[in-house]
Amino acid sequence: MAVPLLSLIVFTPAVGAAALMFMRNDDVVRWTALGVTILDFALCIAMLSGFDTSTYGMQFTETRPWVPTLGITYALGIDGISALFVFLTALLGWICVLASWTAIDRKVKEFMVSLLAMQALMLGVFCALDLFLFYVFWEAMLIPMYVIIGVWGGDGRVYAAFKFFLYTLAGSLMFLIGVIVLYFHGGETFDIRTLMAQDLPFQVQSWLFFAFLIAFAVKVPMVPVHTWLPDAHVQAPTAGSIILAAVLLKMGAYGFLRFSLPMLPEATVHYSTLMLVLSAVAIVYGGLLALAQDDLKKLVAYSSISHMGLVTLGIFTLNLRGLEGGILQMFNHGVTTGALFLFVGLIYERTHTRSIADYGGLMKVAPVYTALLALFALSSMALPGTNSFVGELLVLSGAFAANLAVGAAAVLGALLGAAYLLGMYRKVALGPVSVGLRFKVRDVNAREMAAILPLAVFVLWVGLYPRPFLEIIDASVKHLLAQVHSRGGAQ
Amino acid sequence: MTAAALFQSILAGLPEMVVVTGACILLILGQFVRKGQEHFLVWASVAVVLIAALGTLMLAGEVRPAYSGMFIADRFAVFFKIVFYIATVLTFLLSQKYAEIEGIGRSEYYVLLLLALSGMMIMASATDLLSIYVGLELMVLCTYVLTGFLRQQRRSNEAALKYVILGGVSTAIFLYGVSLVYGLIGTTQLDKMAAAATGGPLDPGLLLAVVFIVAGLAFKVGAVPFHMWVPDVYEGAPTTITAFMSVGPKAAGFAVILRVFLNPLVAASNVWIIVAVIAAVTMALGSFVALVQDNFKRLLAYSSIAHAGFAMFGVAAGGADGVASVMLYLLIYTFMNLGIFGTVIMMRNGNFSGEIIEDYAGFAKSHRRLALLMLLYLFSLAGIPPTAGFFAKFYVLVALVERGFVMLAVIAVLLSAVAAYFYIRVVMVIYMREPEGAFDPALTPAVGATLVFTAAGTIGIGLFPAVFLRLAQHAAVGG
Repeated sequence: MAVPLLSLIVFTPAVGAAALMFMRNDDVVRWTALGVTILDFALCIAMLSGFDTSTYGMQFTETRPWVPTLGITYALGIDGISALFVFLTALLGWICVLASWTAIDRKVKEFMVSLLAMQALMLGVFCALDLFLFYVFWEAMLIPMYVIIGVWGGDGRVYAAFKFFLYTLAGSLMFLIGVIVLYFHGGETFDIRTLMAQDLPFQVQSWLFFAFLIAFAVKVPMVPVHTWLPDAHVQAPTAGSIILAAVLLKMGAYGFLRFSLPMLPEATVHYSTLMLVLSAVAIVYGGLLALAQDDLKKLVAYSSISHMGLVTLGIFTLNLRGLEGGILQMFNHGVTTGALFLFVGLIYERTHTRSIADYGGLMKVAPVYTALLALFALSSMALPGTNSFVGELLVLSGAFAANLAVGAAAVLGALLGAAYLLGMYRKVALGPVSVGLRFKVRDVNAREMAAILPLAVFVLWVGLYPRPFLEIIDASVKHLLAQVHSRGGAQ
Repeated sequence: MTAAALFQSILAGLPEMVVVTGACILLILGQFVRKGQEHFLVWASVAVVLIAALGTLMLAGEVRPAYSGMFIADRFAVFFKIVFYIATVLTFLLSQKYAEIEGIGRSEYYVLLLLALSGMMIMASATDLLSIYVGLELMVLCTYVLTGFLRQQRRSNEAALKYVILGGVSTAIFLYGVSLVYGLIGTTQLDKMAAAATGGPLDPGLLLAVVFIVAGLAFKVGAVPFHMWVPDVYEGAPTTITAFMSVGPKAAGFAVILRVFLNPLVAASNVWIIVAVIAAVTMALGSFVALVQDNFKRLLAYSSIAHAGFAMFGVAAGGADGVASVMLYLLIYTFMNLGIFGTVIMMRNGNFSGEIIEDYAGFAKSHRRLALLMLLYLFSLAGIPPTAGFFAKFYVLVALVERGFVMLAVIAVLLSAVAAYFYIRVVMVIYMREPEGAFDPALTPAVGATLVFTAAGTIGIGLFPAVFLRLAQHAAVGG
């Protein structure tokens, strides 16, 4: 491969961030950030157009020695699973820039630098083929995210930023120990492909499984280590919430897919029931909590916990439909919940309240806004024709094949989802116009539309014609399942 | 002693001689320097260190045992001496403006620093408990005086007095251990001590001697339970001296610890259990007590205790990787710690002390670049990639897991998560508070150069650790 395409994709935002540091005018900064993220997105499209969906192998690979004495390499590459998330991250990159165009009005330069740094690191996580490199990207994300929440967040931002930082750090450090143990058991290498081929003793696999579980469960987040999420989401600026919901939460699930399943197949099969139960608890508990919220952002945040429970449920069914559904649902959740946070951010910019009780009759004041909100709310509750329906259907059918009770819990979660989303929509959009809304609210403008429309397109595209998306992941998922079941035994 | 052996000995000790001679010349020249010309002393001292560094590098090609087994110039010593040179030169650069503000820029200040440097160099090269003692005393006597250099300030005097008394006790304990070793085996040379380790059960008297020596050395690096002097001395001493003490003498202490602990006799006494316990307790104490500090210098004092604890884990791991990990840790720690101290020293201007954490509230608003540098150092101290601080910790953990000490590694990372809290708390104050007054940092070109150099080291070693790792590994096994 002559052009190191993945390196370009990963480092374009980083170079952009470095360039931004030398600019003075806020508008120049905004336009440059937008240009860089769109360029990155274009590179990503170029990558996808050359992506071969018929093989499960890693593509666009690059390998360079980094720390040879410890067997650390700079290795990038993507398979179907990571390709989907590289695409999602690149897509949300410029949407985040658009979302913070006017919402961020102080220290614009620093914000855009953090945003672009974040973008580079997230892309790096999905592309890394070396565990050490993966860990560096994974952990380095804490710095810009801490700053984004802590500097541009709401009133309780400092507390939220601390909580986010310490939870994730504590989780990641156990993962680090796991990585080093894996390094010595797997023949002193950090190469992910080599480590996948290792056959570790069950005892070691179990320990590693739980070490990894701590790190990934915090990121997903799974109950009971989810408590950082509502704080972080509520306090973060809109773009921060979008990144958190759409990409950061995916990294936990991606960790399961990339490390736990293929490297620790025996432990995965052995503990899959535990994971299914934890996922089911998250689905129902997150849904119940969302039902009780008055704060719009908190509602979406708790619905995220519920939806991510569905994702981990799909993954640990360890059958084809569940796994494909789970991965597709990760993508869908990124699009839909990202959009919902964007919507909450848009209305908050206008009214400066997030309390559902303050709203009412928004439809009469901002019809376009409410119509689009309806689309994403329906998508979030998995109405047929929208993206989440496809994903949820696959997960549910996989779940029922794996475990009847867990499947039933997932259905309950879907019902709860309909309840809190429709309830929220009824209170916000329908009924008489509330006093506070009558004069202030203007409808979406062109810039906001540019951020919303692509997400709406993906909601309908995946909902009506999911085949291209499933094709991308298909070969990799089948290979992953073969890896799990050949060594871990059938479920 | 034949002429050839004498020549060999002189060659091996050449860098030390350069530093001592330079110090003596400066002591005399200093009397002729007029007021307002003190910066001449800074550049002369820097020149002395650079000449010594040049000598060290030119003689680094081969191993030179000298002075009938009391001294050796090997790659291990070279590595540590480079660390000392970096620490000393940067301290000189940081001192230039600070000494002027505090009115301590007399020649004695620079001469004592040079003499402390020579003591540290002797410690790194010493292969006999007595030559270790000579280097150790030379170093600490200079730092006692330097600690009390702010003569008009009570807390500086108090710090110096505390340091002298506690330091004297610890030296006595060390010497007592040495005398026990001599009484029981009849030698103080590390090589010959090794021969006494027969593999059988150890003489309880020897075990006692080893424990005494361990205790004496633990004091010098500020490890629990001999850490009590650290916060008071760090707070009371001139900030430049605090910066110097937190990296130079500490690294020298570890150089001796590595030489002594890797001795088969000490290794046979299962001393690693003591070291592991000391490491865990040191790190825990440093991390937890730092959580409640309001004074930045005290916070950095406890942080340096915590870092000493983490490096101790590398000593507990032992083996080639363990030794190399401690060495790399100390090199990286030199960069990031001098960097953060550089920013504290820079804040001292006019009536502004810059010693309270709250003083930094909203610093990012007016001084974006300096705040960014502080962010870099603090995240590096917390061990977040891609900074060098992460790689330092990572390599110690690798050494621990390699030896099967997974539980120790887990303790180490959990405690470093605690430690991360107080570093990011400072970041929070810098970035997330509103400024209360105007800042006027004393950013001279010398301080600026120091900050740029340390920042380059902190980020450079983090991104390209391979070269530095290989250096440390070669120096560790190169014996």
